Amino acid sequence: MAFDWLDRFQHRLEKEPDYARKTLAAYRLGMKAKGSISGVVIQPAQDCCDPARRLPPGKVYHPDQAPLLPLPDCPQGGRCQCLYRPAMSYQQADE
Amino acid sequence: MHSMVGVLLRIPAFKLFRRFGLPRLLPLNLTLSPSPKCNSRCLTCNIWMKRENELTLDEWRKVLASLGRAPYWFTISGGEPLMYPHVVELARSAYDECRPGVINIPTNGILPTIPERVERIAGFCTGSQVIINLSLDGLGEKHDFIRGVPGNFEKFERCLEQLLALRRRLKNLSIGIHSVVSVFNVDNLDEIIAYADRSGADQFITEIAEPRVELDTVGLPITPSAASYAKAVDRLIRYVERKRFRGVARITEALRVEYYKLVKRILDEQDQVIPCYAGWVSAQIYADGTVWPCCVRGDDLGNLRDHNYDFKEIWFGKRIQEVRRSIAAKECHCPLANAAYTSMLHDLATLGRVGAKLLR
Repeated sequence: MAFDWLDRFQHRLEKEPDYARKTLAAYRLGMKAKGSISGVVIQPAQDCCDPARRLPPGKVYHPDQAPLLPLPDCPQGGRCQCLYRPAMSYQQADE
Repeated sequence: MHSMVGVLLRIPAFKLFRRFGLPRLLPLNLTLSPSPKCNSRCLTCNIWMKRENELTLDEWRKVLASLGRAPYWFTISGGEPLMYPHVVELARSAYDECRPGVINIPTNGILPTIPERVERIAGFCTGSQVIINLSLDGLGEKHDFIRGVPGNFEKFERCLEQLLALRRRLKNLSIGIHSVVSVFNVDNLDEIIAYADRSGADQFITEIAEPRVELDTVGLPITPSAASYAKAVDRLIRYVERKRFRGVARITEALRVEYYKLVKRILDEQDQVIPCYAGWVSAQIYADGTVWPCCVRGDDLGNLRDHNYDFKEIWFGKRIQEVRRSIAAKECHCPLANAAYTSMLHDLATLGRVGAKLLR
């Protein structure tokens, strides 16, 4: 994939305290407004915590059901490097 | 200093600023994003889903006052900037406070109020070149599909016609067509070029669809492969080189060809091919007042609300130092057009090639 550095870079960015609420609210609105977003995926950090490792890989959640980041038992707390990614309908069509 | 000559005269000083941190200079090229709201649903962009605690017009005025006459080039971006309710007043404030040479506004052409807003902006900002770039990602239903809005192409055509009519009356107004080249249209670029050529627009520009933190598109498969982009853009370069331009258009078209070639190299080499000047010469102010070096990285350099709306506090502060180190160390690379054009102006090899072309 082109521009892999940006993916790694974004994982390292410190998140705002309301990251989960704000991101999931955006995706919820995106689905309600009939964008091409079909849900949310959690992209764990490379050295993520055990609770993140136990999440089903690539699972597409509805924003209302997605686990909140950082996960409750994440030892990194606010420095958690896991991310939400929008799941787009054209990605699923490709698959 | 608000001419292109003034910009060129500042190049040596910016090169010193990037290398040694002195002289301390405010950016020439600023993107203002007053709101992420947008009425398009593009496959290549997710910014429209975001909601922010947006800066008020009074807050924008304070920020713009802190910039003085430094910026030469403003881009008012979005979201859909011409949907932002105070866009006319924002452009007027930018003009009153900074007297920029150029005010550039991209638009999707959907709202019927666009021509009237453009007329008010160009009518007030008479000392600036006002450039309106209409987005076009395909013809007919292909455009509507990529932009996610049925009937968009028809509205685009109506808006283009109205803006071209306005241009006849307003000498400082330029109308362009702008295409985002993505996996969804890379094979159809020829027909877009042909359409743009007969449209009567002053310019046709393209930008590659790329991941950006701003747009929440990191990791999405929207960027064409290096090979398919090269194939498409080579035809675009041939088109530009076949055309005969005069005056300033010769310079801008020569730079544009350099940009397309630069993007090919960046995709191919996955490297910062020429030194990037984002964070020195260009920057972006996001809707909530956060300052970024660019919208690709979206590093939080500080929020203007926490700095008494004084851009200088952030630009000459501590936090930006680490970001500048990272950019200078080539820890990032991207084809972002806005930053790339300013970086190209600071690259002697690029300037040499453009100069040689103009002499031919």
